[in-house]
Amino acid sequence: MRGVKGLILGVFCAGLTACASAPPTPAMLAANDPYEADNRDMMVFNGKVDRYFVAPTVGIYFVLVPDGGRAAVHRFLNNLTLPTTFVNDVLQGEAQRGRYTLERFVINSTLGLAGFFDPAGSRFSIPAHSEDFGQTLATTFGAKEGPYLILPFLGPSNPRDATGLAVDVAIDPTNFIPFKQHIWWAVGREYSTVLDLRAQTFSTVQGIQRSSVDYYAALRSLYRQIRAKGILNGRPAGADLPDF
Amino acid sequence: MRSALFRAATFTVAFGSLAAAAALAPTPAFAQNAQAANPASAFVNDNMHKGLEILNNKSLSVEQRRVQFEGFLLGLTDMKRIAAFTLGQYRRGASQADQDAFGNAFQNYAVAVYQSYFAKYAGQTLRVVNSQERAPGDFIVTTEMNSPNDRTGQPLEVDFRVRTDGPKPVVVDMSVAGIWLAIEERDQFTSFLGQNNGDIKLLIQYLSDLAKQFK
Repeated sequence: MRGVKGLILGVFCAGLTACASAPPTPAMLAANDPYEADNRDMMVFNGKVDRYFVAPTVGIYFVLVPDGGRAAVHRFLNNLTLPTTFVNDVLQGEAQRGRYTLERFVINSTLGLAGFFDPAGSRFSIPAHSEDFGQTLATTFGAKEGPYLILPFLGPSNPRDATGLAVDVAIDPTNFIPFKQHIWWAVGREYSTVLDLRAQTFSTVQGIQRSSVDYYAALRSLYRQIRAKGILNGRPAGADLPDF
Repeated sequence: MRSALFRAATFTVAFGSLAAAAALAPTPAFAQNAQAANPASAFVNDNMHKGLEILNNKSLSVEQRRVQFEGFLLGLTDMKRIAAFTLGQYRRGASQADQDAFGNAFQNYAVAVYQSYFAKYAGQTLRVVNSQERAPGDFIVTTEMNSPNDRTGQPLEVDFRVRTDGPKPVVVDMSVAGIWLAIEERDQFTSFLGQNNGDIKLLIQYLSDLAKQFK
């Protein structure tokens, strides 16, 4: 899995260097999106991958797996991310959130049958959250997001979050568990994650496309806002909002 | 990171549905004591009940409910102010006639989009949990929305930005899970205008066409 994601990031960076000769317009610079033309091309490419490879299997997934089963798969996949979330909680100095993450992982991995169920939330009312190294770079090291990027296959990002993604992949403990056929586990997990996300958001994404004046700009705004919200770790955002 | 994005997308399609979503809660589940002395939170709390009454009134036809809800929504929000905000830097160079035409187109678009989604949120409950004054007369009222269909048991944070410095309080923006509607719309509109030489008439036409699709 690390190899696959590393390759994607490497290819993207090489492509970005090659494409960076196109001068950005003032509007692109104002939006902190100097690679907008290349990003739009990449969004089209990702859209084709989605249309021809992902979306068809989402339909099959809906038919074969009932609603409750899809929810259990979502919980299982989410549980796998908790060790990485815990490391980032610690790196951000968020003791209470780290405790929540640890408790959720222990309880759901055992009583929750490897995370397919969520007794930590439903029985013990331990709140869930996610954390990643991109957020750690922002909160702990004060790193700025940098220009907006759309990564091949992976979607919206920026240099800070792409770096964070690489670190998260590198520290994911499931990558260090030695067993045969690890590649199939890695590929299966990644594909299941994509399938789960698309299944959850299928109609929603269609709705955004349908109601958007500029779908690209809508996604860019959504991405930036949700990342800014995540970095706040529950603190109010009032000071960061523009005046009306 | 990716899940955060998609969750954002999930919650935001419904940007337009925020007020409707809040108003669709079948029972008045607002915390009566939450920031009761704060005019902004009291305003949000009270108006959500009014919206509830409209949407849960079975004696109204679908069309009557739509018309009443539109009136409720327009009375709650300052659409002109929101429209002006969403034009961003392009507002400065726009003629008054273009600004007025855009304000009308924006209102039709916003109402159409809001109403197209609100049925999805039937059965949800909302309660005011916090309020902060970020600047004089500029409040952020935080609420929690609980869905009976949500297996996570985690409430969805819905925030209302309320201005109280006018003749009456008005909502100028709403946020779901940290995503602010007006900011997202401004980002879209300014991007559109940037690609079309700042042609506001083109944006007006585009919004009008989109609004028709939702009606």
